[in-house]
Amino acid sequence: MSALAQRRARPRDPLLIAALALVGLQVALALAAPLVAPYDPLHQDILARLKGPSAAHWFGADHLGRDILARTLYGYRASLAVSAAAVGLALLVGGAIGLVSAYYRGWTERVLMRMMDVVFAFPVMLLAIGVIAVIGAGAAPAAIAIAIVYTPIFARLTRGPALVVAASEYVEGARAAGAGDLRIILIHILPNLLGVLLVQASLLLSSAILVEASLSFLGVGTQPPHPSLGLMLSEGRNVLMLSPWSAIFAGFAILFLAFGFNLLGDTLRDRLDPRLARSA
Amino acid sequence: MIPRLLAARLIDLAVILFGVSVVVFLLIRLVPGDAVAIMLGANAEVTPERIAELRGRLGLDLPIHTQYLRWAGAALTGDFGVSIWTGRPVIEEILASIGPTIELTLLALIFGAVPAVPLGALMAQWRGGAADAALRVVSIAGLTIPSFWLGIVMILALATLAPSAPMLGYVPFAQDPLGHVLRLILPAFALGLPVLANLSRLVRTAMLEALSQDYVRTARAKGVGERRVVYRHALRNALIPFVTSLGVMTGYLLGGAIVVEQVFAIPGLGRLVLGAIAERNYPLIQATILVVTCGFVIVNFVVDLLYLAIDPRLRGAR
Amino acid sequence: MRHAVRAALIAGAVSLPAVAAAQVLEIGYDQSPAGLDPHIATAFATFAVINGTIYEGLTAIDKDLRVTPGLAQSWTVSADGKTYAFKLRPGVTFHDGSPMQAEDVAATIRRVLSKDIASPLASRLAAVDKAEASAPDTVTLTLKEPSAPLLASLATIAVVPRGMEANKDALQKRPVGTGPFKFAEWRPNGHILLSKHAGYWQQGLPKLEGVKFNLVPESATRQVGLTTGTYAMLPNIDAATAQQLKTNPQVRIAETLELAYTMIGMNTSKPPFDKAEVREALNLALNRQEIIAAALFGAGVPGGPLSPALKDWATDVAQFSCYKSDPAKAKQMLEAAGHKEPVAIAMSVLPRQDIKDIAQVVQQQLNKAGFKVELKNLELGQFIQDWRNSNFDIFASTNAGSVDPDDYFFRTFRTGGSTNVFKYSNPEVDRLLDSARAMQDQAQRKAAYDDVQKRLACQGPIAHIAYGQLFTATRPNVQGFSIIANRSLSTLRETTIGK
Repeated sequence: MSALAQRRARPRDPLLIAALALVGLQVALALAAPLVAPYDPLHQDILARLKGPSAAHWFGADHLGRDILARTLYGYRASLAVSAAAVGLALLVGGAIGLVSAYYRGWTERVLMRMMDVVFAFPVMLLAIGVIAVIGAGAAPAAIAIAIVYTPIFARLTRGPALVVAASEYVEGARAAGAGDLRIILIHILPNLLGVLLVQASLLLSSAILVEASLSFLGVGTQPPHPSLGLMLSEGRNVLMLSPWSAIFAGFAILFLAFGFNLLGDTLRDRLDPRLARSA
Repeated sequence: MIPRLLAARLIDLAVILFGVSVVVFLLIRLVPGDAVAIMLGANAEVTPERIAELRGRLGLDLPIHTQYLRWAGAALTGDFGVSIWTGRPVIEEILASIGPTIELTLLALIFGAVPAVPLGALMAQWRGGAADAALRVVSIAGLTIPSFWLGIVMILALATLAPSAPMLGYVPFAQDPLGHVLRLILPAFALGLPVLANLSRLVRTAMLEALSQDYVRTARAKGVGERRVVYRHALRNALIPFVTSLGVMTGYLLGGAIVVEQVFAIPGLGRLVLGAIAERNYPLIQATILVVTCGFVIVNFVVDLLYLAIDPRLRGAR
Repeated sequence: MRHAVRAALIAGAVSLPAVAAAQVLEIGYDQSPAGLDPHIATAFATFAVINGTIYEGLTAIDKDLRVTPGLAQSWTVSADGKTYAFKLRPGVTFHDGSPMQAEDVAATIRRVLSKDIASPLASRLAAVDKAEASAPDTVTLTLKEPSAPLLASLATIAVVPRGMEANKDALQKRPVGTGPFKFAEWRPNGHILLSKHAGYWQQGLPKLEGVKFNLVPESATRQVGLTTGTYAMLPNIDAATAQQLKTNPQVRIAETLELAYTMIGMNTSKPPFDKAEVREALNLALNRQEIIAAALFGAGVPGGPLSPALKDWATDVAQFSCYKSDPAKAKQMLEAAGHKEPVAIAMSVLPRQDIKDIAQVVQQQLNKAGFKVELKNLELGQFIQDWRNSNFDIFASTNAGSVDPDDYFFRTFRTGGSTNVFKYSNPEVDRLLDSARAMQDQAQRKAAYDDVQKRLACQGPIAHIAYGQLFTATRPNVQGFSIIANRSLSTLRETTIGK
């Protein structure tokens, strides 16, 4: 479409490129962790325990003698897996709720959106912790908890623009031509929302990474011995005065990952139609 | 117009509060397996008689709608039952812990919101080019820095640089008022930094938008001084999104406080609810979530009203 | 105006000694107790707060882990070992002001044994048939059979006022005992404050005006709190914390070898640990020195079924063949037992940092020796429930240990023992435990328990890992405190705060 061409025509945004590079690098490291990690993240080298950075262990070794660099790389994996699963799930469910509400209107919309309002009313961390109190601690429960918390955001986000599109002549025309409900939603309404959804997904990934790290830090997210950035921080704080490396590197990793996705979402938003951006 | 709008908002509020209470009520019923047996687990021998006794005490043997009515009715009068562990009324435990959380949230909010206005205004004036990009990077970094990590790093730094500063731990206000406040500074900073980053960016954007509006240009054209334009006209308009997001920020802070309290050993609601989870103390978990969420909903409601008061254009709308 | 200031200054100066005497010891404490009833809440978190501070028993344990007189100043035992008469110390009062009499002690014993209270301590008094106040100052215990460990067990049975036999709630919130400190205030997640019991039976004690347990879960905060002087004592800390504090000039560290031990428990009621060879293979697979180095920061010693702290009883681990780590041999034994593939097992983990660390090291060691271990990190409630219901393959945990071998062995390893959650049953061990219990002669008992230790060390249901060093960190001005291996803080009564 012309919007895409327009975007191409705009001058390059160095921040967007930086964001893409930052996110791309970290995602690539996470994906390639088994190839690039210098050790098995569970391997214990008792003699190296609590030692700072060295040639053998670039980031040092933790209290059980495990390589912090390897654990950070695998921690990226765990963090990304949980956060991406959570945001993906929220996008699917929330998006569907938003689209269905906008398309059918009436009672369906009222009931669905009220339900979303109720979920949205809870403070994020509190609801996530409440959900975990019910289904138990772990990586998968953390993903589900975060997904539940973010579902209303996507529902609201899709509903607004979808209402506009659904009422447009364009969709009226498709309907007159005999297109079915599902087809109209998927082919005519959804593509118009992709940009907004992409921006929001990127921003929410950033916060999901922080929430996942917080949950693991509190001991209700990813469980040992699996490497997770939040868990590394939580284990590292016990030996903070002896060897702060685990906590320091894990903290930077969380920061860079969340920062990358946030910057990406932020710069992408600028690239999109400002009218859509403002409704976000 | 306003009373009608107010009535509509009040109905919204009631519906949300009802929904929240249903969700919280259902939490304990969704626990897989026998919640009562799990609750008893850490405390005593799990015998059928004890399970039956606790089940009866919690009213779990009644039909579900009766259970809800009984529970919600009691909750309205502040009766959330008795904590299984200490035997104290749940509401007492919550009241004993709510103070530090509110204090920490408020301090963090003040820390995040007050400097945000001048900072945002300043940032708006430095628009364009490299400064823009730098501001953006810094504010996003502020937004995404994990508050609990920041807390840990500050503890580490303090322990190394000023090991004798009385700034860690917690003392009740009554015992040592100055020490009490001193010890809340670091946690409030750690918790409030993302809020500061968020709000100052918001003020900046809103200011830039306002500065490009017609009435500002008119004011400028009329020869009103630049300072006056910025502070009188643009800033006032920039305050609207600022106020609305204060409500949302409160929710973030209440949640973030859970983690920061853990790092700084502040005896607030976060520690209460985490302790309750480890002990499977469901009545306490339910009550804490309900109380905090209702508080959050009401804060947002008030912010909504404020919003109406600030922006007269909205009074006619909707 | 100036006069007033001056008067205030003088008043301050004059009252300075009074302030110094009006000392409250600020303790940084990691865990919130689940309750303060000494017969119901028996976890470490409660024990350290109440044992020897709020409550006392008929007997006491001194810092050399020997039994000494407590609230009973003397006792006599009948020739058949079935009747004990305890003469009570005169002038002992409860915190509520009422005098402690024989009837209170008898009621205490009945309370621990009552079904209503369902005390975990009941098994320690299993031999007791009747408790009577035979005179106002004499309590007579009649036993079903002789019980050598009775005197040591009684040190852990806190004497409470009569009238509590059916009351499960009162003492949880407001404990009442005879100890040097009385309960003053409990702010959940805040602190527990104890104040001086003015009517304490021992003249001149306690020296402190009060003791405040500040509940601070975050280790780093506790540490900084001690170095900055917010707290004067961190009791019963782990090696990681102690090591971080050791270098600080403002900190004194007291240490002792702990009675408690870390362990891997095995379920002998189902495969694969129903086979003694598989249990031995697990022992061979462990490298205890490495576990101590990694998870206990080097502060501990490998231990057998009894703590080396019990010098009169413990067998040297050098005598246990399976304590020399040998993963290859472990693998062979597993293969000989019919396990060609790695043996897949789940390990439940007690939610405590040192145990989580031990579990992760053990997992790696076992995986190298023919096992395939999955960790199950459970919440405390779930862990204990699974433990009670024998719902585990193996678990990593810690146990308090006892001063007398019988107290630990009989309930843990005797067929049908109250904490034999492993469903372990060995007729030879049963026979030895039954007979040792009735023996009064120390040498005879020692011989029997030597035999039991040998049988349990490699093929028993518990792989004992290590007895850790226990540390207490204090500010330099805290004096008179001595650390006790069972984690009791009873010496707080002799503690003072100097300049």
